[in-house]
Amino acid sequence: MKHLSEEELIEQYYSKGEGAAATRQHLKGCAECAEAYAALGSDLAEMEFAEPPARDASYGERVWESLSRSLPAYEARKWSWLRGGLGMGLSYAAACALLVVGAFFAGRLWEQRQAQNSAAIHPQQTQQPVAQPQERVVLVVLSDHLDRSERLLVELKHADADSAEMVSPLRDEARGLLAANRICRQNAEKIDDPALTTALDRLDHVLGELANQPGGLNGATIARLQEEMNANGLLFEVRVLRSRIPDQQAGGKDRSTGGTI
Amino acid sequence: MPGCKISPNRADQIVSNVRMDKNDHAAVRAVLAGDKEAYGALVVHHSHRLFRLAFRITGNETDAEDVVQEAFLRGYQKLESFESRADFGTWIYRIAVRCALDRIGGRRMDESSRVAEETDPELDEVQVADLAAGPDRLLLSSEIRAMQEMAMHNLTSTERTAFMLRHMEDCSTDEIAAALEIQPNAAKQAVFRAVHKLRRRLAPMMVRI
Repeated sequence: MKHLSEEELIEQYYSKGEGAAATRQHLKGCAECAEAYAALGSDLAEMEFAEPPARDASYGERVWESLSRSLPAYEARKWSWLRGGLGMGLSYAAACALLVVGAFFAGRLWEQRQAQNSAAIHPQQTQQPVAQPQERVVLVVLSDHLDRSERLLVELKHADADSAEMVSPLRDEARGLLAANRICRQNAEKIDDPALTTALDRLDHVLGELANQPGGLNGATIARLQEEMNANGLLFEVRVLRSRIPDQQAGGKDRSTGGTI
Repeated sequence: MPGCKISPNRADQIVSNVRMDKNDHAAVRAVLAGDKEAYGALVVHHSHRLFRLAFRITGNETDAEDVVQEAFLRGYQKLESFESRADFGTWIYRIAVRCALDRIGGRRMDESSRVAEETDPELDEVQVADLAAGPDRLLLSSEIRAMQEMAMHNLTSTERTAFMLRHMEDCSTDEIAAALEIQPNAAKQAVFRAVHKLRRRLAPMMVRI
């Protein structure tokens, strides 16, 4: 049988016999430990220490009398208390403001990350809205260019080669369209649209002839261009291309005219 | 402290203390509101108890009185940190324990020499008046008391305070730990060591009696 240690006996003694049930049970069954416990109780009970000397009834008042002179007035502290309260209030307000600002930026960050995650999951869906405005601009520019080019070609087709009045406007219009045509052609190459590229290439040739003919436009040049245009069906081709654009604007899948300039 | 003895006439004292606890809180509020004199009521009410405690720790009447004054002074200065849910008596009691330990702190150098003395087996041969030598039991009793006091002062300040709080003030382990600002297990061990040393020191005297 394992006997109780002195520590367990001391703990039992100071718990006034209400200690651990196991210890009490052991003391009931173990004569040796019960004897040790009784000896401990006897030793501690016999310890008599000098009682503190008695203080008279006015002792507390004397203590207060000696203290009160040295204690600072709490009235002054009341203000510091208030200042402390104000400081605490301001601290709380600053903490709240910081929290709100933090929450705002956290929200912004979260929103951005959500957008990035969404882009990673559905790249096509997220790219489309970004690309759409540019694509619309390109479509409008191309549509306008083809429209103007068609009108120019119609005028060229019906131009009187001998009329000087007809020549000058054609040349000016061709010069105006030339730059736009080159941009549209570059874009068509970029988006790998061979039909559009070829058409714009032919158009570029015609516009170049009209705009930059050495010595100015003459009847022979106009007649030659009319023949070429009739032969390769450039006007028809431009009309076809122009007719494709409204379908694409309506959401057609063909991205031949899409992309950025 | 709530679990500690306050005075021998327990019942009246406990009822009185319950009433006083409410008054204590009112007094603390009044002091913080600027009524300095309200602190006087707290000092008058708790100074006797604090003196007993201080005397038991310091073993010296003058030191005990100084400790009481210092404890109330520290209490006043820290009154803003006193939580209204706490018991003022418990709070000031802990401050007094700290003050008393600080007061006797200078004697710790002496304690190391006392430990050396304690380990000297020759010094365990305590000279106590033999009953057969004379009938004067009063003299014997005073000698025994002196030996006990000496044994007490051979303890370290922590052991002595822990034992005093346990044995004389009836404080629980948690209360002792709180007063000494140590872990409950350390407080328990301090009491164990104190009892063990006292018994060993006083054993020869106990046998002869």
